[in-house]
Amino acid sequence: MSDILLQAENVGIRFGGLQALEALNLTVRDKELCCIIGPNGAGKSTFLNVLTGTLRPTSGSVRFLGHDIAGLPLHRIARLGIARKFQIPSVFPSLSVEDNVKVARWGAPSPVRPVGELLELVALSNRAATPAGELAHGQKQWLEIGMALAIEPRLLLLDEPTAGMTPQETLATADMLLRLKGEFSIVAVEHDIRFVRALNCETLVLHQGRRLRSGPFHDIETDEMVRDVYLGRR
Amino acid sequence: MIARDRNWLLIFAACVALAIIYPFFVGGYQLTVIRDALIFGLFAASLDFFWGRTGILCFGHAAFFGIGGYIMALITLNDAISFASLLGIIGAVAGAALVSAIIGYFLFFGGIRGSYFTIVMLAMGVICQQAAVSWSSVTGGDSGLIGIPPIAFDVGGLHVDLSQDLPSYIFVSAIVAVTVLALWSISRGRWGTVLTAIQDNEVRAAALGHNAPLRLLVTFVLSAAIAGLAGALYVCMAGLVAPDLSGLLLSTEVIVWVAVGGRGTLLGPVLGAIFIQRAQQTISSFNPSLWPLLLGCVFVIIVFVLPDGILSIYARLKALFKGGRRAQ
Repeated sequence: MSDILLQAENVGIRFGGLQALEALNLTVRDKELCCIIGPNGAGKSTFLNVLTGTLRPTSGSVRFLGHDIAGLPLHRIARLGIARKFQIPSVFPSLSVEDNVKVARWGAPSPVRPVGELLELVALSNRAATPAGELAHGQKQWLEIGMALAIEPRLLLLDEPTAGMTPQETLATADMLLRLKGEFSIVAVEHDIRFVRALNCETLVLHQGRRLRSGPFHDIETDEMVRDVYLGRR
Repeated sequence: MIARDRNWLLIFAACVALAIIYPFFVGGYQLTVIRDALIFGLFAASLDFFWGRTGILCFGHAAFFGIGGYIMALITLNDAISFASLLGIIGAVAGAALVSAIIGYFLFFGGIRGSYFTIVMLAMGVICQQAAVSWSSVTGGDSGLIGIPPIAFDVGGLHVDLSQDLPSYIFVSAIVAVTVLALWSISRGRWGTVLTAIQDNEVRAAALGHNAPLRLLVTFVLSAAIAGLAGALYVCMAGLVAPDLSGLLLSTEVIVWVAVGGRGTLLGPVLGAIFIQRAQQTISSFNPSLWPLLLGCVFVIIVFVLPDGILSIYARLKALFKGGRRAQ
Protein backbone atom coordinates (compact mmCIF):
# COMPACT_ATOMS: atom_id res chain seq x y z
CA MET A 1 0.00 0.00 0.00
CA SER A 2 3.03 2.27 -0.05
CA ASP A 3 2.10 3.73 -3.42
CA ILE A 4 -0.85 5.63 -1.97
CA LEU A 5 -0.28 9.31 -2.55
CA LEU A 6 -3.44 10.96 -1.37
CA GLN A 7 -6.02 9.46 0.90
CA ALA A 8 -9.26 11.12 1.87
CA GLU A 9 -11.14 9.21 4.53
CA ASN A 10 -14.73 9.73 5.51
CA VAL A 11 -14.55 13.41 4.56
CA GLY A 12 -17.53 15.52 5.49
CA ILE A 13 -17.97 19.24 5.53
CA ARG A 14 -20.78 21.30 6.88
CA PHE A 15 -21.42 24.97 6.13
CA GLY A 16 -23.83 26.06 8.82
CA GLY A 17 -26.94 23.95 8.26
CA LEU A 18 -25.79 22.64 4.90
CA GLN A 19 -24.05 19.31 4.73
CA ALA A 20 -21.95 20.07 1.61
CA LEU A 21 -20.02 16.80 1.63
CA GLU A 22 -20.72 13.59 3.44
CA ALA A 23 -18.64 10.46 4.04
CA LEU A 24 -16.45 10.74 0.95
CA ASN A 25 -13.49 8.46 0.43
CA LEU A 26 -10.88 8.80 -2.27
CA THR A 27 -7.57 7.06 -2.69
CA VAL A 28 -5.16 8.30 -5.32
CA ARG A 29 -2.21 6.04 -6.08
CA ASP A 30 1.09 7.19 -7.47
CA LYS A 31 0.92 8.06 -11.19
CA GLU A 32 -2.81 7.33 -11.30
CA LEU A 33 -5.29 9.41 -13.29
CA CYS A 34 -8.78 9.80 -11.93
CA CYS A 35 -11.79 12.01 -12.46
CA ILE A 36 -14.44 13.39 -10.19
CA ILE A 37 -17.65 14.17 -12.00
CA GLY A 38 -21.11 15.23 -11.03
CA PRO A 39 -23.78 17.77 -11.92
CA ASN A 40 -23.51 21.41 -10.85
CA GLY A 41 -23.70 21.80 -7.10
CA ALA A 42 -22.66 18.21 -6.42
CA GLY A 43 -19.77 19.40 -4.27
CA LYS A 44 -16.95 18.76 -6.76
CA SER A 45 -15.11 22.01 -6.19
CA THR A 46 -15.67 21.84 -2.44
CA PHE A 47 -14.18 18.34 -2.40
CA LEU A 48 -11.22 19.56 -4.43
CA ASN A 49 -10.74 22.42 -1.97
CA VAL A 50 -10.62 19.87 0.82
CA LEU A 51 -8.13 17.73 -1.11
CA THR A 52 -5.80 20.71 -1.55
CA GLY A 53 -6.04 21.67 2.10
CA THR A 54 -7.78 24.97 1.31
CA LEU A 55 -10.86 23.91 3.25
CA ARG A 56 -10.64 22.02 6.52
CA PRO A 57 -13.15 19.15 6.60
CA THR A 58 -15.50 19.12 9.60
CA SER A 59 -15.09 15.36 9.81
CA GLY A 60 -12.64 12.84 8.37
CA SER A 61 -9.11 13.51 7.22
CA VAL A 62 -7.01 14.14 4.12
CA ARG A 63 -3.49 12.77 4.13
CA PHE A 64 -0.86 13.36 1.49
CA LEU A 65 2.08 10.95 1.78
CA GLY A 66 0.99 10.41 5.37
CA HIS A 67 0.86 14.12 6.32
CA ASP A 68 -2.40 15.70 7.38
CA ILE A 69 -2.62 18.72 5.07
CA ALA A 70 -5.78 20.42 6.34
CA GLY A 71 -5.16 24.08 7.08
CA LEU A 72 -1.50 24.22 5.98
CA PRO A 73 -0.48 27.51 4.33
CA LEU A 74 -0.81 27.45 0.54
CA HIS A 75 2.88 27.66 -0.26
CA ARG A 76 3.68 24.76 2.09
CA ILE A 77 1.11 22.57 0.36
CA ALA A 78 2.62 23.51 -2.99
CA ARG A 79 6.05 22.51 -1.75
CA LEU A 80 4.79 19.11 -0.63
CA GLY A 81 4.19 18.44 -4.31
CA ILE A 82 0.53 19.27 -4.84
CA ALA A 83 -0.17 21.50 -7.81
CA ARG A 84 -3.57 22.93 -8.43
CA LYS A 85 -5.13 24.43 -11.51
CA PHE A 86 -8.02 26.69 -10.65
CA GLN A 87 -11.37 26.69 -12.38
CA ILE A 88 -11.07 30.30 -13.49
CA PRO A 89 -7.77 30.67 -15.32
CA SER A 90 -5.56 32.61 -12.96
CA VAL A 91 -2.38 33.26 -14.83
CA PHE A 92 -0.41 36.45 -14.17
CA PRO A 93 -1.80 38.74 -16.90
CA SER A 94 0.96 41.37 -16.84
CA LEU A 95 3.79 38.85 -17.15
CA SER A 96 4.77 37.17 -20.40
CA VAL A 97 3.91 33.50 -20.94
CA GLU A 98 7.57 32.64 -20.35
CA ASP A 99 7.75 34.68 -17.12
CA ASN A 100 4.59 32.98 -15.88
CA VAL A 101 6.28 29.62 -16.22
CA LYS A 102 9.47 31.01 -14.68
CA VAL A 103 7.60 32.29 -11.62
CA ALA A 104 6.07 28.85 -11.27
CA ARG A 105 9.48 27.18 -11.58
CA TRP A 106 11.07 29.50 -9.01
CA GLY A 107 8.45 28.51 -6.48
CA ALA A 108 9.30 24.85 -6.87
CA PRO A 109 11.62 23.14 -4.39
CA SER A 110 13.49 21.28 -7.15
CA PRO A 111 12.44 22.16 -10.69
CA VAL A 112 13.59 19.68 -13.30
CA ARG A 113 12.05 20.53 -16.64
CA PRO A 114 13.49 23.64 -18.35
CA VAL A 115 11.10 26.45 -19.29
CA GLY A 116 11.34 25.59 -22.99
CA GLU A 117 10.22 22.00 -22.43
CA LEU A 118 7.30 23.10 -20.25
CA LEU A 119 6.11 25.49 -22.96
CA GLU A 120 6.48 22.68 -25.49
CA LEU A 121 4.35 20.32 -23.37
CA VAL A 122 1.45 22.75 -23.27
CA ALA A 123 1.84 23.86 -26.92
CA LEU A 124 2.73 27.47 -26.14
CA SER A 125 6.32 27.65 -27.43
CA ASN A 126 5.41 30.18 -30.09
CA ARG A 127 3.68 32.49 -27.59
CA ALA A 128 6.55 32.74 -25.07
CA ALA A 129 6.88 36.54 -25.23
CA THR A 130 3.12 37.28 -25.29
CA PRO A 131 1.67 38.84 -22.14
CA ALA A 132 -0.46 36.12 -20.58
CA GLY A 133 -3.40 38.50 -20.37
CA GLU A 134 -3.62 38.49 -24.16
CA LEU A 135 -3.90 34.71 -24.59
CA ALA A 136 -7.09 33.07 -25.77
CA HIS A 137 -9.12 31.41 -23.04
CA GLY A 138 -8.08 27.87 -23.91
CA GLN A 139 -4.42 28.84 -24.07
CA LYS A 140 -4.66 30.40 -20.60
CA GLN A 141 -5.90 27.07 -19.30
CA TRP A 142 -2.94 25.33 -20.91
CA LEU A 143 -0.54 27.88 -19.52
CA GLU A 144 -1.99 27.11 -16.10
CA ILE A 145 -1.34 23.43 -16.63
CA GLY A 146 2.21 24.29 -17.74
CA MET A 147 2.70 26.33 -14.56
CA ALA A 148 1.35 23.49 -12.47
CA LEU A 149 3.85 21.14 -14.16
CA ALA A 150 6.72 23.51 -13.41
CA ILE A 151 6.66 22.68 -9.74
CA GLU A 152 7.24 19.00 -10.66
CA PRO A 153 4.20 17.91 -8.70
CA ARG A 154 3.55 14.45 -7.35
CA LEU A 155 -0.13 15.25 -7.68
CA LEU A 156 -1.86 17.58 -10.11
CA LEU A 157 -5.39 18.67 -9.23
CA LEU A 158 -7.39 20.20 -12.07
CA ASP A 159 -10.58 22.09 -11.40
CA GLU A 160 -12.72 21.99 -14.54
CA PRO A 161 -9.74 22.15 -16.89
CA THR A 162 -11.93 22.44 -19.97
CA ALA A 163 -14.41 25.05 -18.71
CA GLY A 164 -15.19 27.41 -21.58
CA MET A 165 -13.16 25.46 -24.14
CA THR A 166 -14.26 24.59 -27.64
CA PRO A 167 -14.80 20.84 -28.31
CA GLN A 168 -11.45 20.71 -30.18
CA GLU A 169 -9.62 22.37 -27.32
CA THR A 170 -11.29 20.00 -24.87
CA LEU A 171 -10.03 16.96 -26.77
CA ALA A 172 -6.58 18.51 -27.17
CA THR A 173 -6.50 19.00 -23.38
CA ALA A 174 -7.47 15.37 -22.82
CA ASP A 175 -4.64 14.31 -25.15
CA MET A 176 -2.25 16.51 -23.21
CA LEU A 177 -3.24 14.86 -19.93
CA LEU A 178 -2.99 11.37 -21.41
CA ARG A 179 0.57 12.20 -22.52
CA LEU A 180 1.38 13.35 -18.98
CA LYS A 181 -0.22 10.34 -17.36
CA GLY A 182 2.42 8.09 -15.86
CA GLU A 183 4.61 11.02 -14.79
CA PHE A 184 2.54 11.92 -11.76
CA SER A 185 -0.97 11.49 -10.38
CA ILE A 186 -3.75 13.60 -11.82
CA VAL A 187 -7.16 14.27 -10.34
CA ALA A 188 -9.52 16.16 -12.62
CA VAL A 189 -12.85 17.59 -11.58
CA GLU A 190 -15.10 17.92 -14.60
CA HIS A 191 -18.65 18.01 -15.74
CA ASP A 192 -17.91 17.76 -19.45
CA ILE A 193 -18.62 14.09 -20.12
CA ARG A 194 -16.80 14.07 -23.48
CA PHE A 195 -13.60 15.03 -21.74
CA VAL A 196 -13.92 12.27 -19.15
CA ARG A 197 -14.79 9.79 -21.86
CA ALA A 198 -11.60 10.74 -23.72
CA LEU A 199 -9.58 10.17 -20.54
CA ASN A 200 -11.36 6.87 -19.82
CA CYS A 201 -10.06 6.48 -16.25
CA GLU A 202 -11.18 5.72 -12.71
CA THR A 203 -14.14 7.96 -12.01
CA LEU A 204 -15.94 9.09 -8.88
CA VAL A 205 -19.45 10.40 -9.36
CA LEU A 206 -20.73 12.87 -6.81
CA HIS A 207 -24.33 13.82 -6.28
CA GLN A 208 -25.53 16.18 -3.58
CA GLY A 209 -22.28 15.87 -1.67
CA ARG A 210 -22.24 12.08 -1.59
CA ARG A 211 -20.63 9.32 -3.57
CA LEU A 212 -23.09 8.08 -6.14
CA ARG A 213 -20.86 5.59 -7.98
CA SER A 214 -17.20 4.96 -8.51
CA GLY A 215 -15.27 2.77 -10.88
CA PRO A 216 -13.82 2.70 -14.41
CA PHE A 217 -15.50 5.17 -16.75
CA HIS A 218 -17.10 2.65 -19.10
CA ASP A 219 -18.97 1.11 -16.12
CA ILE A 220 -20.02 4.57 -14.96
CA GLU A 221 -21.21 5.61 -18.39
CA THR A 222 -23.57 2.70 -18.70
CA ASP A 223 -24.94 3.10 -15.17
CA GLU A 224 -28.65 3.94 -15.14
CA MET A 225 -28.48 5.89 -11.89
CA VAL A 226 -25.67 8.13 -13.18
CA ARG A 227 -27.58 8.78 -16.37
CA ASP A 228 -30.67 9.72 -14.40
CA VAL A 229 -28.73 12.19 -12.28
CA TYR A 230 -27.05 13.75 -15.28
CA LEU A 231 -30.28 14.04 -17.19
CA GLY A 232 -31.91 15.56 -14.12
CA ARG A 233 -34.38 12.74 -13.58
CA ARG A 234 -33.47 12.49 -9.91
CA MET B 1 19.08 42.30 -23.32
CA ILE B 2 15.58 43.43 -24.13
CA ALA B 3 14.94 46.90 -25.52
CA ARG B 4 13.24 48.21 -22.39
CA ASP B 5 16.29 47.42 -20.25
CA ARG B 6 18.63 48.99 -22.79
CA ASN B 7 16.56 52.16 -22.91
CA TRP B 8 16.57 52.39 -19.13
CA LEU B 9 20.36 52.03 -18.99
CA LEU B 10 20.77 54.66 -21.72
CA ILE B 11 18.62 57.15 -19.82
CA PHE B 12 20.45 56.29 -16.61
CA ALA B 13 23.84 56.86 -18.28
CA ALA B 14 22.61 60.19 -19.69
CA CYS B 15 21.49 61.29 -16.21
CA VAL B 16 24.84 60.31 -14.68
CA ALA B 17 26.69 62.20 -17.43
CA LEU B 18 24.50 65.22 -16.79
CA ALA B 19 25.20 64.99 -13.05
CA ILE B 20 28.95 64.86 -13.74
CA ILE B 21 29.11 67.92 -16.00
CA TYR B 22 26.58 69.94 -14.00
CA PRO B 23 29.11 71.35 -11.45
CA PHE B 24 31.15 72.88 -14.30
CA PHE B 25 28.27 75.15 -15.25
CA VAL B 26 26.75 76.31 -12.00
CA GLY B 27 27.83 77.89 -8.74
CA GLY B 28 27.75 76.58 -5.19
CA TYR B 29 24.20 77.59 -4.35
CA GLN B 30 22.71 75.90 -7.41
CA LEU B 31 24.68 72.79 -6.52
CA THR B 32 23.20 72.61 -3.03
CA VAL B 33 19.72 73.07 -4.47
CA ILE B 34 20.12 70.15 -6.84
CA ARG B 35 21.85 68.13 -4.11
CA ASP B 36 18.88 68.49 -1.77
CA ALA B 37 16.52 67.70 -4.65
CA LEU B 38 18.54 64.54 -5.34
CA ILE B 39 18.14 63.43 -1.71
CA PHE B 40 14.39 63.75 -2.09
CA GLY B 41 14.80 61.93 -5.40
CA LEU B 42 16.39 59.04 -3.49
CA PHE B 43 13.44 59.12 -1.12
CA ALA B 44 11.05 59.00 -4.09
CA ALA B 45 12.97 56.06 -5.57
CA SER B 46 12.64 54.20 -2.26
CA LEU B 47 8.85 54.62 -2.33
CA ASP B 48 8.75 53.60 -5.98
CA PHE B 49 10.70 50.41 -5.25
CA PHE B 50 7.82 49.32 -3.02
CA TRP B 51 4.81 50.97 -4.63
CA GLY B 52 5.92 50.40 -8.22
CA ARG B 53 6.64 46.71 -7.77
CA THR B 54 3.92 45.64 -5.35
CA GLY B 55 1.16 48.02 -6.37
CA ILE B 56 0.59 48.74 -2.67
CA LEU B 57 0.67 52.45 -1.87
CA CYS B 58 2.42 53.49 1.33
CA PHE B 59 0.87 56.80 2.38
CA GLY B 60 3.22 57.36 5.30
CA HIS B 61 6.62 56.87 3.77
CA ALA B 62 7.85 60.13 5.32
CA ALA B 63 7.67 58.32 8.67
CA PHE B 64 10.80 56.38 7.68
CA PHE B 65 12.43 59.49 6.23
CA GLY B 66 11.81 61.22 9.58
CA ILE B 67 12.97 58.25 11.68
CA GLY B 68 16.22 58.18 9.70
CA GLY B 69 16.59 61.93 10.12
CA TYR B 70 16.02 61.95 13.88
CA ILE B 71 18.34 58.99 14.52
CA MET B 72 21.07 60.66 12.48
CA ALA B 73 20.55 63.94 14.35
CA LEU B 74 20.60 62.33 17.81
CA ILE B 75 23.76 60.34 17.08
CA THR B 76 25.75 63.15 15.46
CA LEU B 77 24.69 65.71 18.08
CA ASN B 78 26.02 63.46 20.85
CA ASP B 79 29.65 64.45 21.47
CA ALA B 80 30.43 61.21 23.29
CA ILE B 81 30.04 59.15 20.10
CA SER B 82 33.03 58.84 17.79
CA PHE B 83 32.67 58.05 14.10
CA ALA B 84 29.29 59.71 14.53
CA SER B 85 28.57 60.27 10.83
CA LEU B 86 29.04 56.65 9.80
CA LEU B 87 27.30 55.32 12.90
CA GLY B 88 24.50 57.79 12.32
CA ILE B 89 23.93 56.58 8.76
CA ILE B 90 24.01 52.95 9.86
CA GLY B 91 21.69 53.72 12.79
CA ALA B 92 19.27 55.63 10.57
CA VAL B 93 19.06 52.82 8.04
CA ALA B 94 18.76 50.16 10.74
CA GLY B 95 16.17 52.13 12.71
CA ALA B 96 13.91 52.68 9.71
CA ALA B 97 14.34 49.03 8.72
CA LEU B 98 13.47 47.81 12.21
CA VAL B 99 10.32 49.92 12.54
CA SER B 100 9.14 48.93 9.06
CA ALA B 101 9.88 45.26 9.80
CA ILE B 102 7.73 45.31 12.94
CA ILE B 103 4.81 47.14 11.33
CA GLY B 104 5.19 45.25 8.05
CA TYR B 105 5.27 41.87 9.77
CA PHE B 106 1.87 42.37 11.36
CA LEU B 107 0.34 43.95 8.26
CA PHE B 108 1.62 41.55 5.59
CA PHE B 109 1.30 38.34 7.56
CA GLY B 110 -2.07 39.55 8.85
CA GLY B 111 -3.30 39.77 5.27
CA ILE B 112 -3.60 43.57 5.17
CA ARG B 113 -3.30 44.77 1.57
CA GLY B 114 -4.40 47.51 -0.77
CA SER B 115 -6.24 50.53 0.60
CA TYR B 116 -6.19 49.13 4.16
CA PHE B 117 -2.42 49.12 4.10
CA THR B 118 -2.43 52.66 2.71
CA ILE B 119 -4.68 53.85 5.54
CA VAL B 120 -2.64 52.16 8.28
CA MET B 121 0.52 53.75 6.91
CA LEU B 122 -1.23 57.12 6.76
CA ALA B 123 -1.92 56.79 10.48
CA MET B 124 1.64 55.63 11.03
CA GLY B 125 2.96 58.86 9.48
CA VAL B 126 0.70 60.94 11.69
CA ILE B 127 1.83 59.00 14.78
CA CYS B 128 5.50 59.57 13.95
CA GLN B 129 4.99 63.27 13.42
CA GLN B 130 3.03 63.53 16.65
CA ALA B 131 5.70 61.61 18.55
CA ALA B 132 8.35 63.98 17.20
CA VAL B 133 6.31 66.97 18.40
CA SER B 134 5.39 65.58 21.82
CA TRP B 135 8.60 63.86 22.91
CA SER B 136 10.32 67.21 23.19
CA SER B 137 13.01 66.18 25.69
CA VAL B 138 14.59 64.03 22.97
CA THR B 139 13.32 65.42 19.68
CA GLY B 140 13.23 69.11 20.53
CA GLY B 141 9.46 69.23 19.97
CA ASP B 142 7.99 71.55 17.37
CA SER B 143 11.21 73.39 16.68
CA GLY B 144 13.21 70.19 16.17
CA LEU B 145 16.97 69.90 16.56
CA ILE B 146 19.47 72.29 15.01
CA GLY B 147 23.20 72.37 14.51
CA ILE B 148 23.60 68.92 13.01
CA PRO B 149 27.17 68.76 11.68
CA PRO B 150 27.92 67.87 8.05
CA ILE B 151 28.99 64.31 7.34
CA ALA B 152 32.70 63.71 7.95
CA PHE B 153 34.56 60.43 8.26
CA ASP B 154 37.78 58.63 7.37
CA VAL B 155 37.86 55.56 5.18
CA GLY B 156 41.25 53.86 4.82
CA GLY B 157 43.27 57.04 5.22
CA LEU B 158 40.94 59.04 2.95
CA HIS B 159 39.34 61.92 4.80
CA VAL B 160 35.82 62.67 3.66
CA ASP B 161 34.48 66.05 4.69
CA LEU B 162 31.15 67.12 3.26
CA SER B 163 30.98 70.61 4.68
CA GLN B 164 31.74 72.08 1.24
CA ASP B 165 29.20 72.28 -1.57
CA LEU B 166 31.01 70.30 -4.25
CA PRO B 167 32.07 67.27 -2.14
CA SER B 168 28.60 66.96 -0.66
CA TYR B 169 27.06 67.17 -4.14
CA ILE B 170 29.38 64.44 -5.45
CA PHE B 171 28.76 62.23 -2.38
CA VAL B 172 24.96 62.52 -2.67
CA SER B 173 24.95 62.01 -6.46
CA ALA B 174 27.09 58.90 -6.12
CA ILE B 175 24.85 57.41 -3.43
CA VAL B 176 21.70 58.15 -5.44
CA ALA B 177 23.19 56.68 -8.64
CA VAL B 178 24.44 53.51 -6.95
CA THR B 179 21.21 52.97 -4.99
CA VAL B 180 18.95 53.52 -7.99
CA LEU B 181 21.06 51.17 -10.11
CA ALA B 182 20.99 48.53 -7.35
CA LEU B 183 17.23 48.82 -6.86
CA TRP B 184 16.74 48.58 -10.60
CA SER B 185 18.80 45.42 -10.93
CA ILE B 186 16.87 43.86 -8.04
CA SER B 187 13.49 44.78 -9.46
CA ARG B 188 14.09 43.73 -13.07
CA GLY B 189 15.30 40.25 -12.17
CA ARG B 190 13.69 37.34 -10.44
CA TRP B 191 12.74 39.34 -7.35
CA GLY B 192 10.78 41.91 -9.35
CA THR B 193 9.11 39.33 -11.60
CA VAL B 194 7.78 37.42 -8.61
CA LEU B 195 6.58 40.69 -7.04
CA THR B 196 4.70 41.48 -10.25
CA ALA B 197 3.17 38.02 -10.08
CA ILE B 198 2.13 38.61 -6.46
CA GLN B 199 0.62 41.94 -7.49
CA ASP B 200 -1.32 40.22 -10.29
CA ASN B 201 -2.62 37.39 -8.13
CA GLU B 202 -1.21 36.79 -4.69
CA VAL B 203 -3.15 33.57 -3.97
CA ARG B 204 -1.93 32.05 -7.20
CA ALA B 205 1.68 33.00 -6.48
CA ALA B 206 1.36 31.39 -3.04
CA ALA B 207 -0.15 28.25 -4.58
CA LEU B 208 2.99 28.02 -6.71
CA GLY B 209 5.15 27.90 -3.60
CA HIS B 210 6.07 31.57 -3.14
CA ASN B 211 6.00 33.01 0.36
CA ALA B 212 4.21 36.20 -0.69
CA PRO B 213 3.97 37.95 2.73
CA LEU B 214 7.69 37.45 3.35
CA ARG B 215 8.62 38.79 -0.06
CA LEU B 216 6.40 41.84 0.40
CA LEU B 217 7.87 42.38 3.87
CA VAL B 218 11.48 42.26 2.69
CA THR B 219 10.68 44.66 -0.16
CA PHE B 220 8.97 47.01 2.27
CA VAL B 221 11.88 46.90 4.74
CA LEU B 222 14.40 47.60 1.97
CA SER B 223 12.27 50.50 0.77
CA ALA B 224 11.99 51.94 4.31
CA ALA B 225 15.73 51.50 4.94
CA ILE B 226 16.53 53.60 1.87
CA ALA B 227 13.97 56.20 2.94
CA GLY B 228 15.83 56.27 6.29
CA LEU B 229 19.13 56.74 4.46
CA ALA B 230 17.66 59.66 2.52
CA GLY B 231 16.40 61.19 5.78
CA ALA B 232 19.84 60.84 7.37
CA LEU B 233 21.54 62.49 4.40
CA TYR B 234 19.02 65.29 4.32
CA VAL B 235 19.35 66.38 7.97
CA CYS B 236 23.14 66.51 7.64
CA MET B 237 22.92 68.70 4.56
CA ALA B 238 20.19 70.94 5.99
CA GLY B 239 21.74 71.04 9.47
CA LEU B 240 18.39 70.63 11.19
CA VAL B 241 15.61 68.14 11.76
CA ALA B 242 11.95 68.97 12.39
CA PRO B 243 8.66 67.06 12.82
CA ASP B 244 7.64 68.07 9.26
CA LEU B 245 10.12 65.52 7.92
CA SER B 246 7.82 62.68 8.92
CA GLY B 247 4.65 64.60 8.20
CA LEU B 248 1.67 64.10 5.95
CA LEU B 249 2.72 66.84 3.53
CA LEU B 250 6.03 65.17 2.70
CA SER B 251 4.28 61.78 2.42
CA THR B 252 1.90 63.31 -0.11
CA GLU B 253 4.65 65.12 -2.00
CA VAL B 254 6.72 61.98 -2.44
CA ILE B 255 3.68 60.22 -3.92
CA VAL B 256 3.29 63.07 -6.40
CA TRP B 257 6.98 62.86 -7.35
CA VAL B 258 6.66 59.16 -8.04
CA ALA B 259 3.38 59.59 -9.91
CA VAL B 260 4.79 62.41 -12.05
CA GLY B 261 8.06 60.63 -12.76
CA GLY B 262 6.42 57.33 -13.55
CA ARG B 263 5.66 54.57 -11.11
CA GLY B 264 7.83 51.49 -11.47
CA THR B 265 10.66 53.20 -13.35
CA LEU B 266 12.84 54.11 -10.31
CA LEU B 267 14.67 56.73 -12.37
CA GLY B 268 11.50 58.64 -13.19
CA PRO B 269 10.67 59.41 -9.54
CA VAL B 270 14.17 60.89 -9.04
CA LEU B 271 13.62 63.13 -12.05
CA GLY B 272 10.08 63.87 -10.90
CA ALA B 273 11.38 65.00 -7.50
CA ILE B 274 13.98 67.31 -9.05
CA PHE B 275 11.57 68.68 -11.62
CA ILE B 276 8.73 69.37 -9.21
CA GLN B 277 10.92 70.97 -6.57
CA ARG B 278 12.41 73.25 -9.21
CA ALA B 279 8.92 74.17 -10.39
CA GLN B 280 7.87 74.74 -6.79
CA GLN B 281 10.69 77.23 -6.22
CA THR B 282 10.01 79.10 -9.44
CA ILE B 283 6.26 79.32 -8.93
CA SER B 284 6.48 80.16 -5.24
CA SER B 285 8.69 83.11 -6.12
CA PHE B 286 5.75 84.67 -8.02
CA ASN B 287 3.14 83.87 -5.44
CA PRO B 288 3.60 81.51 -2.47
CA SER B 289 -0.05 80.47 -2.30
CA LEU B 290 -0.15 79.44 -5.96
CA TRP B 291 1.94 76.29 -5.48
CA PRO B 292 -0.40 74.01 -3.48
CA LEU B 293 -3.18 74.75 -5.97
CA LEU B 294 -1.00 73.91 -8.94
CA LEU B 295 0.40 70.81 -7.26
CA GLY B 296 -3.10 69.46 -6.75
CA CYS B 297 -4.06 70.17 -10.38
CA VAL B 298 -0.88 68.56 -11.71
CA PHE B 299 -1.55 65.48 -9.60
CA VAL B 300 -5.10 65.11 -10.91
CA ILE B 301 -3.96 65.62 -14.51
CA ILE B 302 -1.18 63.05 -14.15
CA VAL B 303 -3.51 60.47 -12.66
CA PHE B 304 -6.07 60.89 -15.43
CA VAL B 305 -3.98 61.65 -18.51
CA LEU B 306 -0.54 60.15 -17.87
CA PRO B 307 -0.93 57.40 -15.27
CA ASP B 308 2.52 56.08 -16.20
CA GLY B 309 4.26 59.42 -15.61
CA ILE B 310 6.12 61.91 -17.78
CA LEU B 311 8.64 59.34 -19.01
CA SER B 312 5.74 57.56 -20.72
CA ILE B 313 5.23 60.46 -23.15
CA TYR B 314 8.13 59.15 -25.23
CA ALA B 315 6.73 55.61 -25.30
CA ARG B 316 3.31 56.97 -26.21
CA LEU B 317 4.69 59.08 -29.05
CA LYS B 318 6.60 56.07 -30.34
CA ALA B 319 3.47 53.94 -30.23
CA LEU B 320 1.60 56.72 -32.03
CA PHE B 321 4.16 56.86 -34.84
CA LYS B 322 4.33 53.09 -35.13
CA GLY B 323 0.56 52.90 -35.25
CA GLY B 324 0.53 55.58 -37.94
CA ARG B 325 3.05 53.72 -40.05
CA ARG B 326 1.16 50.48 -39.80
CA ALA B 327 -2.02 52.19 -40.91
CA GLN B 328 -0.46 53.35 -44.18
